[in-house]
Amino acid sequence: MNESFFIMGESDIDILSLLIATPLLGALLLYILPFFSDRDDPTGRRSRIFSFIITLIPLSLSFIALAASRGMNNPGVIQFVKRVNWIPQLGISYFVGIDGISFALLLLTVVLMPLVILSAQISQKRRAFFANLLVVEAAMIGTLLALDLFLFYVFWELMLAPMYFLIGIWGGNKRINATLKFVVYTVVGSVLMLIAMLYLVWSTYRTTGVLTFATDQLLALSSLTALEQIWLFSAFAIAFAIKVPIFPFHTWMADVYTEAPTAALVVSSGIMIKLGLYGLIRFAYPMFPIGAQVVGPIIVALAVFGILYGALVAWEQGDLRRLLAFSSLSHLGFCVLGVFAFETISLTGAIFQAVCHGITAAGLFILLGMLTDQTRSRDISAYGGLTEKMPRFAFVLLIFTLSSVALPLTNSFVGEFLILIGSFRVLPLATALASLGVIFGAVYMLSFYQKLMFGRFDAAKNGSLRDLSLAQALILVPLMVLVFYLGIFPSSLLSTIEPSVVSYRTAVILKKQRVVESTPESLPVASGRSLEARLIDQQAVLKG
Amino acid sequence: MTGLISYSAFSQVLPLIILTVGALLTLLFEVFLKHEWRKEILSATAIVAAVGAYATNSAEFEPHKILFSGHLYADPFALFFSLFILVVALAVIILGIRGLAQEGVESSGEYHGIFLFGLVGALVLVSAANFITLFLGLEILSMALYALCASAPGRPRSSESALKYFLLGSFSSVFLLYGIALLYGVTGTFDLVSINARLINTDSYSPMIAFLLIALGLLFKLGAVPFHFWIADVYQGSPTPITAFMACAVKAAAAAVVLRVISGVFADLHGLWSGMIACCAVLTMVVGNIVALQQRSMKRMLAFSSVAHAGYLLVGVLAIGPQYGGAAAIAFYLVTYAAMTFGSFAVVQIVSAGQASKKNSDDVSRFQGLSSTNPFLAACMALFLFSLAGLPPGVSGLVAKFFIFSTAVRADYVILSVVGVLMSAVSCYYYLRVVVAMYFMEPPVVAGESSVAPRFDIPLPLTAVLVFAALLVVVLGLFPARLFEVAQQVTSSLL
Repeated sequence: MNESFFIMGESDIDILSLLIATPLLGALLLYILPFFSDRDDPTGRRSRIFSFIITLIPLSLSFIALAASRGMNNPGVIQFVKRVNWIPQLGISYFVGIDGISFALLLLTVVLMPLVILSAQISQKRRAFFANLLVVEAAMIGTLLALDLFLFYVFWELMLAPMYFLIGIWGGNKRINATLKFVVYTVVGSVLMLIAMLYLVWSTYRTTGVLTFATDQLLALSSLTALEQIWLFSAFAIAFAIKVPIFPFHTWMADVYTEAPTAALVVSSGIMIKLGLYGLIRFAYPMFPIGAQVVGPIIVALAVFGILYGALVAWEQGDLRRLLAFSSLSHLGFCVLGVFAFETISLTGAIFQAVCHGITAAGLFILLGMLTDQTRSRDISAYGGLTEKMPRFAFVLLIFTLSSVALPLTNSFVGEFLILIGSFRVLPLATALASLGVIFGAVYMLSFYQKLMFGRFDAAKNGSLRDLSLAQALILVPLMVLVFYLGIFPSSLLSTIEPSVVSYRTAVILKKQRVVESTPESLPVASGRSLEARLIDQQAVLKG
Repeated sequence: MTGLISYSAFSQVLPLIILTVGALLTLLFEVFLKHEWRKEILSATAIVAAVGAYATNSAEFEPHKILFSGHLYADPFALFFSLFILVVALAVIILGIRGLAQEGVESSGEYHGIFLFGLVGALVLVSAANFITLFLGLEILSMALYALCASAPGRPRSSESALKYFLLGSFSSVFLLYGIALLYGVTGTFDLVSINARLINTDSYSPMIAFLLIALGLLFKLGAVPFHFWIADVYQGSPTPITAFMACAVKAAAAAVVLRVISGVFADLHGLWSGMIACCAVLTMVVGNIVALQQRSMKRMLAFSSVAHAGYLLVGVLAIGPQYGGAAAIAFYLVTYAAMTFGSFAVVQIVSAGQASKKNSDDVSRFQGLSSTNPFLAACMALFLFSLAGLPPGVSGLVAKFFIFSTAVRADYVILSVVGVLMSAVSCYYYLRVVVAMYFMEPPVVAGESSVAPRFDIPLPLTAVLVFAALLVVVLGLFPARLFEVAQQVTSSLL
């Protein structure tokens, strides 16, 4: 029980820094070498192949790291730790490491990025496009690996600029509004988080004399009052809730989803929004457990509302992408529910489901991109009866649709099932309501499939549609395989996530206890049951 | 405080002498220097020589060292800011190489002479150890700036801006003088170091009024709200190199003096001024950022942005106490701010080249499609703007703001910091609007002009300056520890 989450595995090879540096270096080369210039490389073929090869490097490195970490004897701890002073005057260090939770999302990132690059359809400035994609990959990987708060913040903000360019240069007609909305929302959230970080660091310094931004030390040392925790947790949670998004911070999403180019959309909905969830798990919850406990019920309520609201609004959408945007809102609500139920099973399920949603959303967006690139229409009613004209397309779409409605044997079934079963014990009402969302999800996704694929075929509008080419189908094969692989052999990924979740959860609960012991009088009572009763529960769980 | 004027004292003011001689030579030989680059080379040589003089004597700049019977500091703080101002000045000279003619400056010999005199004033200002020297330095600098603002009669608003600056500037100087006189009346001395000790024993009204008057004079130069009304017009009307000089070097000099005066004279009266400075900081951040939202002229936008940044600096001033390290954060901020602001002004000047006589010469629409016509310029500008907004990849802007707000949170100014960062989020809107124009829009097709968008011809030295500024923006962000350490060292002697 005392074996802390933050005993770190040591490693001589700095594999994680390589993971971050490779895409950045690739982007730099792409940008400066005349070999890739638009004049020398008019079709963008060279830059596409080059960036594809670059993204294969983090992919292979991640699997090497995974294999190496499986060989280490204490699963669940943070591994491959690298720590170098960066701004020693403020206790800021370049501090990276990885555990099962970040591994799951890292794998998602490195698997999706090569596919994004292969599937990207763009007509101009190709080199800059791929360079931006590589920068955003580096930023996302950095966000997942950073264990220093400031370093995390820098990577978190670094995701913004390339996404901004991706949407703004290669997006649709209303792209400029979409970019502004995206930037303003994200920045407002993250600057509040910055102040919360500073407050946390300086108050820790005041009480202990240790000036540090490293999460392990802050976790061990920080002792905030319940009120402070509530404020700081809220500041962090808003930053992450905007990213996820959690209702009512989702209003940037529909615009961005409609205007972004397909590749940016896959990056955003496939990977980036999961980083909000990751931030909640990695930073917001463990740093401020009491705050999380007090604010948690509100977030759970919003998440459940988001599940139902998202599903209902998705049902009404006539635009393909807006439908999927609200479907994301709905699906991510499950993950948030799983996180705030804070049971081992539900947490594991939430992370697993984040990965699964990434795969499914990426598949859907890439696939629909292949359709809309031909017709330039995202209006669902413009289509109908495509099955006969595009049988391969229909088949692939069916797989991803079924994965999205969480059919057994597909990946999402496992994720949602784990979340619901894990959450039910602690949050029965919320879980019951959330399960309605599963039903709604089936309704809107299946009716969406029906409208697109069956019904009357309009030869005048859609007569020129072509089915998936072999190359296009090949891009989607890895994702289809993953849908079933994770659905049938979930333990392959769960075995990576779960040990980390167990030690993570133990560390957080221990911290919560410590805080509770140090400030017994200032305890707010959370959600119906008294805090003491819940703590006793948790202790029982820990012992058992 | 030695009463003797020694040789060593002269060696330490050698840069001032070099610059003065350089200024005189430029004025004297103006007639003979007809060739395009000669005046620039002469004044650049003077500046480089001054830098060299500082560099060779750098060991003699020790904490608390005062020259000439208590008139000039020769401490690391003065050295740091003098070198900083000289480097900016060198960049300003380079910016003027072809720019002066394009900006409508007519007699470039006088321009360079006056500029060097102004530089002397700025250096005196940052080294001033008593209020008389301080005022002298401020006035030498200001007089030169008034003249420099008016040096481009071809620009539509040049004379107007000069007159406005002159009237308001003299007015603020008068307030400063009142404050100095009042302090002298209360304490009987002009020396910054001795005033503090004598102030403690006085009644509370006179120091407060004196502070208000002195602050008014200094905040005017810093460009803080509500003393900011001159900024937009003056920045827009002046030739762009001078605008860049005012935004980077003059602001830095003003900030240095504010640090010196507040930490030297009013350090023990924190309770007396903190409320006022806090209000001023909030106002400055809010007004600067909100008004900048509505600007279409790039120079006006950058002017209000400089107001906003003055607000961030004031947040650092509040946390000036030695235990918080606000002064070091400010010194760091000024360096990074200078790199990105100077770079932005340089790009604005290049893009609006040859349009000086037009009223909308620096309209944001001129940046449309810059990324396809001039990718290098657009990339530099985007980097500077991201940095000003505090977003990666302009990491140094982020780190600098981080230092400022870190000290503020440490000194318990949490609400102020929240206002600051929210305003900095607002600033994303107007900085990124330029990026929108450069990257997300096509080059404008203007009736009557050739359809081929211009590819701007940048003189080689200016390209070097731009690259240097861009590198500074990136490198100071990735490796800020060294500069921050220097900033901590030079500001430690203040307190």
